[in-house]
Amino acid sequence: MKAVITNVMSKTYAQTNKALNRVSLSLSKGEVFGFLGPNGAGKTTMVKLLNGMLTPTEGRCWVCDIDPSQEPEKMHRIAGVVTEHAQMYDHLSGYENLVFYGNLFGIRSSESQSRAQSLLEKLGLTNARDKKLGAYSTGMRQRLSLARAMIHRPEVLFLDEPTSGLDPESVHSVNQLIKQLAREEGTTVFLCTHQLRYAQEICSSYGLINEGVLLADGTLEQLRSMVFAGMTVSIKADGVPPEFQSRGSGGQDYEVKVESESEIPPIVKRIVDHGGSIYRVTSKRMSLEEIYFALIEQGKGGDGK
Amino acid sequence: MINSMQKALIKKDIKSITSNKRMLSVILIVPLVLTILMPTIFILTAHFVPEDAGDLQQMIDLLPQTQRGVSMEQMITALMMNNVMPLFFVIIPIMAASVMAASSFVGEKEKRTLETLLYCPLTLEQIFYAKILASFIISMAVTLTSFAAMIVVTQIELLLLSGELLLPDINWVVILLLISPAISLIAITMIVRGSVKAQSVEEAQQRAAFLILPMILLMVGQLTGLILINVFILLVIGIVLAVLALIYMRSAMRKTSYEIVLK
Repeated sequence: MKAVITNVMSKTYAQTNKALNRVSLSLSKGEVFGFLGPNGAGKTTMVKLLNGMLTPTEGRCWVCDIDPSQEPEKMHRIAGVVTEHAQMYDHLSGYENLVFYGNLFGIRSSESQSRAQSLLEKLGLTNARDKKLGAYSTGMRQRLSLARAMIHRPEVLFLDEPTSGLDPESVHSVNQLIKQLAREEGTTVFLCTHQLRYAQEICSSYGLINEGVLLADGTLEQLRSMVFAGMTVSIKADGVPPEFQSRGSGGQDYEVKVESESEIPPIVKRIVDHGGSIYRVTSKRMSLEEIYFALIEQGKGGDGK
Repeated sequence: MINSMQKALIKKDIKSITSNKRMLSVILIVPLVLTILMPTIFILTAHFVPEDAGDLQQMIDLLPQTQRGVSMEQMITALMMNNVMPLFFVIIPIMAASVMAASSFVGEKEKRTLETLLYCPLTLEQIFYAKILASFIISMAVTLTSFAAMIVVTQIELLLLSGELLLPDINWVVILLLISPAISLIAITMIVRGSVKAQSVEEAQQRAAFLILPMILLMVGQLTGLILINVFILLVIGIVLAVLALIYMRSAMRKTSYEIVLK
């Protein structure tokens, strides 16, 4: 059973504004899927469709075999959601909020209380346990939202920009928690963000979206192979052979594109044999960010989606 | 049937009103003025200057013959207790329900907690029911407490001033058990239904103000002796209102979807 499936799903607002355009995706259980794109690309619309808050204009979707537009309440039982617009109650403390949402998910009060306590500890909010939410900082609120979404041990977790407003330390603890969830509890994570570097740290697969169109999806390796599977070798050297002259990026720095690491030693040998001096050699594969921009540049989806 | 998840929501909604001093005072001040201050003024006026009650003569003339022959003070007091005060018990549930319902629905929308609520495993209909019930409980609690407070205060006053008690008549049973709950339910449904589109608490509350208007007209009618409702007419009105309230509540919930609510 797949955790999330969307089948040529579209959503059009006010009959003209196409927020999502025939998106097809398939996520396995335990996957940490990064749904990446700039603001307004259609990420939040996708989360709302997958949670039954919106009905697709075209196509269908399933979360653990449940169609959220048909049985939203059944689907909510197995899903947790963190979005910017899903806030909690300012007049209740962090702990009271979690216990309330636990009860709302049908968890018995005693279990809800112990689960709330353990989540507060995991997210570093123990000291703020009895503080009213109104006194929480943006980062603390965000972490509490994550705890709220996890209170009922969901099978699928939808996180829409979960680290916005978080300091680096909090980002680190949230990342650890997400990884741990996927690894130990088999939770599938659907993570929407525009921070591609952040996504690359924790996701196991990706979907790249722009203006409602899915540009490509797959693992980092699969995405790279759609653009350029090789690597860029940066060399700082003097007295390089003539064929390297055109690859200079100014001064002693040169860049060479290779298909695999095995091509690097012959390059070094060629420079040394030519009597050149090498100060530094580094190799770098395409980052997610570079792949994303390359795909937008190409104006195509690698797998045709 | 209400499930444990709905119970949690109802409990939270009631607690958020009772723990909010500003909101609680808004809900309590009007009933206090209407059910304690107003009858006290009536009783004092009737006791000390009964001749000033000339404005009520038309209404007194309409009273059943059995009530005649008693003193002017007793007549005015009976008129106040059984013909004027019941109208306040139609206004009180509307007022309490509108404050509570607007805060529990549009308030959640304003504070962006509604979306979080929609992600829970309850259907939209179950959420609506829970919210309506929470408002209904508060509204009826305020109404019944106001009645108890009014009875205690007026009876003590009457006992001290004239040495006699004046117990409420049969109309009160119909008012408290049928008309007040039905009117309260209509007001709540009206607000919850309006809340779907309303973007602010004030906007939602304004809708209930339209319900108060016919009540004020009814009161003017009572005071000028134009309308004098007996218990049977009251019972019929109560049953019609209760049926209308239930139909209205059911139809209001069928026409919504997450998409409309979150707009």
